[in-house]
Amino acid sequence: MVDTMAAIGPDELGSKRVEGSIARQILGTAWRSTGFRIGFTVFVLLLLASAIVPEISPYEATKMNMKARFLPPLFLGEKWEWGHPLGTDQLGRDMLLRCLVGLRYSLFIGVTTVALMFIVGCGLGLLSGFKGRWWDMAIMRLTDAQLSIPMIILAITILGVSKPTVPTIILVLGLSGWPLYARVARSAAVAERGKEYVRGLRVVGAGDWRILLLFAAPNILPPIAFVAVLDIARIMIFEAILGFLGLGIQPPTPSFGTIISDARKYLINAWWIATSPGVFLAVALTSINLMGAALEKARNKIYGGA
Amino acid sequence: MYFLEFLLKRIAQGFVIIFLTSLLIFTLLRVVPGDPVRLIVGGMAPDNVVEEVATKMGLRDPIIVQYGRYMWGLLHGDLGQSYLRPKSGMIATGGEYVDPSRADMASVGELILERVPLTLQLAGVSLVFACLIAFPIGIAGGLRPNGWPGVLAFATQSLFVSIPNFWLAIILILLLSVQLGWLPALGYRGFAYVILPAIVLAVEIAPFLIRTLTVSLGEIMQSHFIDEARVRGLPKRRIVYGHALRNAAVPLANLLGIQLSSLIGGVLVVEYIFDYPGLGHLTVNSVVGRDFPTIQGIAITTSAVFVFVNIIVDLISYSIDPRVEL
Repeated sequence: MVDTMAAIGPDELGSKRVEGSIARQILGTAWRSTGFRIGFTVFVLLLLASAIVPEISPYEATKMNMKARFLPPLFLGEKWEWGHPLGTDQLGRDMLLRCLVGLRYSLFIGVTTVALMFIVGCGLGLLSGFKGRWWDMAIMRLTDAQLSIPMIILAITILGVSKPTVPTIILVLGLSGWPLYARVARSAAVAERGKEYVRGLRVVGAGDWRILLLFAAPNILPPIAFVAVLDIARIMIFEAILGFLGLGIQPPTPSFGTIISDARKYLINAWWIATSPGVFLAVALTSINLMGAALEKARNKIYGGA
Repeated sequence: MYFLEFLLKRIAQGFVIIFLTSLLIFTLLRVVPGDPVRLIVGGMAPDNVVEEVATKMGLRDPIIVQYGRYMWGLLHGDLGQSYLRPKSGMIATGGEYVDPSRADMASVGELILERVPLTLQLAGVSLVFACLIAFPIGIAGGLRPNGWPGVLAFATQSLFVSIPNFWLAIILILLLSVQLGWLPALGYRGFAYVILPAIVLAVEIAPFLIRTLTVSLGEIMQSHFIDEARVRGLPKRRIVYGHALRNAAVPLANLLGIQLSSLIGGVLVVEYIFDYPGLGHLTVNSVVGRDFPTIQGIAITTSAVFVFVNIIVDLISYSIDPRVEL
C-alpha cells in the first residue's frame, strides 16, 4: 500500500494519513471509555477460559457420566462438587465445559459470519455505489427484497432441509445478513465518489476497480468494520436461536441453543442446566456489546467532530 | 400533487419489491433440497408414487412455469392451498397419506388471515411494553447523557441486547408461571396469554428504542432552537415534551421501519416457544413440514407488511417534520 501511495503524490498521501489515524482515533476514544474496558476485560477472560479450560480439564464436554447426573452448581443443594462448578446436566456432563466449548463455536460462527457478511455486503455495496446505473439498480432492489424477508425465515427455510453443519450455518447466516452492509457501504461509496481525490485519480487515468479497491475501500470500510462488532453479538444470538429450534450445530457438540432447548425438560428439577448457558451467553454478549457500543459512540463522536 | 406522486411511486416500488421477494423465496424453496412430496406421501411410499403425486401437483414442471402459475393465482388473490393442513384444522403429518390436490386443504390466505390478528395483538402489546420501558430510561438518558441516567441507559441497552430471547422466555416461564403461578404461559386462551410473550419481545425491542432516544434527544438538546426556547423562558417540561421529543420522533419512526423485519423474526421465535398460535408459529411448522404454499404466502405477506409499514413511516416522518424529503 505504501509504495502505491507514494506514486500518486503528496495530496493523496495526506488524506490517507488522516484516514488511517481516524481508525486509530476511534480505537483510542473507545478505549478511554469505561464500558469498553469492562467489556474488553470480560471478553478476554472468557476467551482465555474457553481456549484453555477445556484443554486442561480432567473431564470432557461430550463424555457422559451416569453417576454424576444432575449435580447442582457450587453451594446449591446438597450434592455439589468442586469439580463441577456449574453442576452437571442430565447425562452427567460438566456444564462449565459445555458452556465454554459452546462459546468457542458461538464465537467462531459469530466472527466468521460477520466477516462474510462484511465482505459480501460491502463488496456489493461499493460496487453499487461506485458503478451506479444498472449495477446500482439491480443490487439495491435485491437488498430491498431480501431486507423485506426476515433473516430468520430465510435461515430456517434453508437450514430446515440442508444438514446444519458449521459451514452451512455460517453461509446461510452470512448470505441472509449482507444487505444492511451493502446499504451502508453504498451510501459511503456514493459520497466518496464525488470527492476530490477520486476525481483526481480518474484524471490520472486510474480505472474504476483500481480506485475502488486501492483507495476508496480503505477509506470507507474501517468505520463500518467498527460497528460490525455489534453484529457479532447479534449473530451469536441468532446461532443460539437456530440451535434452540434444532437447526443449529447438531448434538453431541455442545452449543448454547441446543443445551437450553434440551434442558427445558428438566427445568423444574434441574433449573441450572437451562440457566447457566443463558447467563454465560448473556455475559459474553454483553461484553461484546459494550465494546461495540463504545466503538460506535467513538466513531460518531469523531465523525461528528470531523 | 407532489404527495400523490410520491405515494404512487412508492406503491409501484413496493410491488416490485414484493414481486422480487416472491421470486426469491419461490426459487429458494425449490432449489434447496427437501422434497415436500416425500413428506406428504410418507417415507415408506415407493418412488413411482412420489413421482406421480409430484407430477399431479405440478412440482416437476420447470420452476418458471410453476412460478407463472403461482403468480397468476396471486393476481386473482389466491395464495394456493396448504400441502399439510386440511380445512378441519387438524395437521396431517407422518405416514398418513393425504391427497394434497384434494379440495379440502385449507387455503393459505385463510390460514394467514386467521393468525394475523393474534400476531398483531402480540406485536402491539409488546410495543406498548417496550415504550413503557424505553421512554423513561431513554428520555432521562438523552437529557443527561453524562450523568447517571446516561450510564443507566447505556447499561440497560447493552444488557437487554445481550439477553437471548428464548432463554429469557424459559426463565420467565419458570419464575412467573411455574414457581409463582401468576401468568399462564403456553398456548392461547385469552388476553392473559399475551403478557409473557409480550414482555420477552419488549425486552428485545427496548434497547433499540433506548439507543435511538438517547442519541437523538442528546443531539437535539444541543441544538439552537432548544437554546432559544430556554431564552424565551419556556418551562423545561414544555421544551422537552413539546419541542425536543417531537423532533426525536422522526428517527424513532424510522427505526420502526428498519427494525420491523427483526421484530418479525423475534415474534416468530417467541411464538414458537410460547406455543402462541400466530403467524410465527405457523411459519416454523410450515418450514418443518416443507409446506411450500404456506411459506410463500407468509413471505409475501411479511414483505407486503414491510413495504406498507415503511411507506407509512415515511408519511408519519413527513407529517411530524415537513423538512423530511419524501
